Amino acid sequence: MSPRRVRALVRRVTVELRRDRPSLALLFIAPIVVTGLFTFILRDASGPNLRVAIASGGSGPAAALISGRLDGALTGAGMTVTQAASVDAARSAVQDGSASIAILLPADLAPGKGSTITLLTKGLDPSGDAGQLAAVSQAILGGIASSMGTALPSLAHQTVYGTPSSDPMAPFAPAIVAFFVYFFVYLLTGVSFLRERTGGTLERLMATPVTRGEVVTGYILGFGLFAMLQVAILLTWALVAIRVPAIGPLPDVAIGLGIAVAGSPLLAFLVVLLLALGAVSLGIFLSTFARTELQVIQFIPVVLVPQFLLSGVLFSVDSLPSVLQPLVHFMPLAYAVDALREIFIRGADLSVADVQLDIAVLAAVAVLFAAVAFRTIRRDVV
Amino acid sequence: MVNSNPVPPPTPDAGEAAIRAVGLVKRFGPVVAVDGMTFDLAPGRIYGLLGPNGSGKTTLIRLLTGMTRATEGTAHVLGVRMPDRANLARIGYMTQGDGVYPALTAGENAQFFGAAYGVEDAAQVDEALRLVELADRAKTIAGTLSGGQRRRLSLACALVHKPPVLFLDEPTVGVDPLLRVQFWGHFRQLADAGTTIVVSSHVMDEADRCDELLFVRAGKVIARGSGGQLRAEAGTDDLEAAFLRFSGETAVAA
Ligand SMILES: Nc1ncnc2c1ncn2[C@@H]1O[C@H](COP(=O)(O)OP(=O)(O)O)[C@@H](O)[C@H]1O
Ligand SMILES: [Mg+2]
Repeated sequence: MSPRRVRALVRRVTVELRRDRPSLALLFIAPIVVTGLFTFILRDASGPNLRVAIASGGSGPAAALISGRLDGALTGAGMTVTQAASVDAARSAVQDGSASIAILLPADLAPGKGSTITLLTKGLDPSGDAGQLAAVSQAILGGIASSMGTALPSLAHQTVYGTPSSDPMAPFAPAIVAFFVYFFVYLLTGVSFLRERTGGTLERLMATPVTRGEVVTGYILGFGLFAMLQVAILLTWALVAIRVPAIGPLPDVAIGLGIAVAGSPLLAFLVVLLLALGAVSLGIFLSTFARTELQVIQFIPVVLVPQFLLSGVLFSVDSLPSVLQPLVHFMPLAYAVDALREIFIRGADLSVADVQLDIAVLAAVAVLFAAVAFRTIRRDVV
Repeated sequence: MVNSNPVPPPTPDAGEAAIRAVGLVKRFGPVVAVDGMTFDLAPGRIYGLLGPNGSGKTTLIRLLTGMTRATEGTAHVLGVRMPDRANLARIGYMTQGDGVYPALTAGENAQFFGAAYGVEDAAQVDEALRLVELADRAKTIAGTLSGGQRRRLSLACALVHKPPVLFLDEPTVGVDPLLRVQFWGHFRQLADAGTTIVVSSHVMDEADRCDELLFVRAGKVIARGSGGQLRAEAGTDDLEAAFLRFSGETAVAA
């Protein structure tokens, strides 16, 4: 392996990428926009814009009292409450979308008497319904349980690591960061290497004393540099929240997602970087099987989406069907997500066995992929 | 001089031949791209590989440069059995496609391939660009060069390390007539300085610029000699007709 030739390769790869504006945007801006959007959706989704219609089957003083209490509790939780004239009116309000959920109080509703309150949703979006049901049930419990004459125990939540965070983004942030780095580094390397193959420059490069090992090393180092920058920028964006005070009519804003990290950001950086180095080789390897850039993109549903589903990014690994559980062990992304959660939430450092295992696997995967990429650089060629 | 003499088994320094092929065969599944070629090419001469598309010219060059392994037979360049990575530093290969990096400037391309061949001397890189008259375009992004300019850049990248053996795969395709004349001027200059040059082409009109021609058809060398010799042998003034004559002969012989 000649350091000079590797240096020439690294320089070439970086110069090419530096001049490629759309790819730079893909690498540096897209993950920031997407993670920002994701955070915004998660943090601000529930509560405030829930529109609730209350309809009472009966008309006695008990019904009036309870629906009054309920109104107060729901409004207090930030929901918009309307009183519907009848159960049918509430039903059509949910149907036409003017209410997102209806609370139907039974005619026989009275203190000390077991009766059923019905919650009515549209049913087109089960997961959205579930979120609303939880929010509304919470408010019902808080608002009217005592007036029903039953003192319900209240629930408290504690966690072994960290505190039960009120930030819904906290468990997702590490996973999302890892996924997007993996995704964009793969895409960029895959397309670049495909161009190398189809543009005839690889054939030409192989007609020089440059070795396959030097090519893979050059790519890993060159793209690794950009991956490093990307990970640094993305992690900084995820972890900081710089307050910008209100200026004139503009409200104050925070730049950055401000996600709490209990452990070392540097260790998190290293984990994501290892994952990214594996993605470089994966891109080289998969470009063997593609003839066009579109085909590199077509590998995404085959290779990246299963990783996304099976690595605990959105769906907890423990909640996966048991037939799918063994597959998790073959997902490089799963190890990164696990290590990052340990670091972010538990505050784990290198002395934690789980983190050691994750890092060892990620390193082994990076080396394995590099070896496979090396093998596939020239299939016909020696 | 049809299908030149059978050659003795090559020794590590294969005599005076710059390039030696012995019983070269390359099959791609059922396709026989190169079907038993044996020849010696002497140093400092320009050889023309002439034959229609698909006759096996590119595959032959890839075998000689060690870019692909022969199914049967051996190839030696400058006495070294190919494939041999270190020997590639003494070989220039201008591929059929341009094979330059469109995002890099002309200068960066030449510099990169120079570095790949172990040339670190900036003056030598400039010299290659000057030779193809691209010195003034050194800072131009290769993707924005005209087709002819890119072809010249491709040539510069193949000879930046001043190789004693140069393979040029259809170097003048898509090149305007004036530039062709310049190219051939360069090739002659290099050959006079001792470079062995193998040029492939599927058109006959450049044939007379070569010292010697190898007619290639269906993976075989069907005739070899200077343009004059081949015309005389075929009894025609037209090389095209000569090629057809030799093709017919082998078809009957086969
Ligand atoms: N990598 C390959 N795989 C399969 N067939 C090939 C490959 N390279 C060349 N061939 C076949 O070998 C024959 C000779 O091709 P080639 O050497 O490119 O001819 P030429 O350069 O004279 O046009 C053609 O039939 C071509 O299809
Ligand atoms: Mg060809």
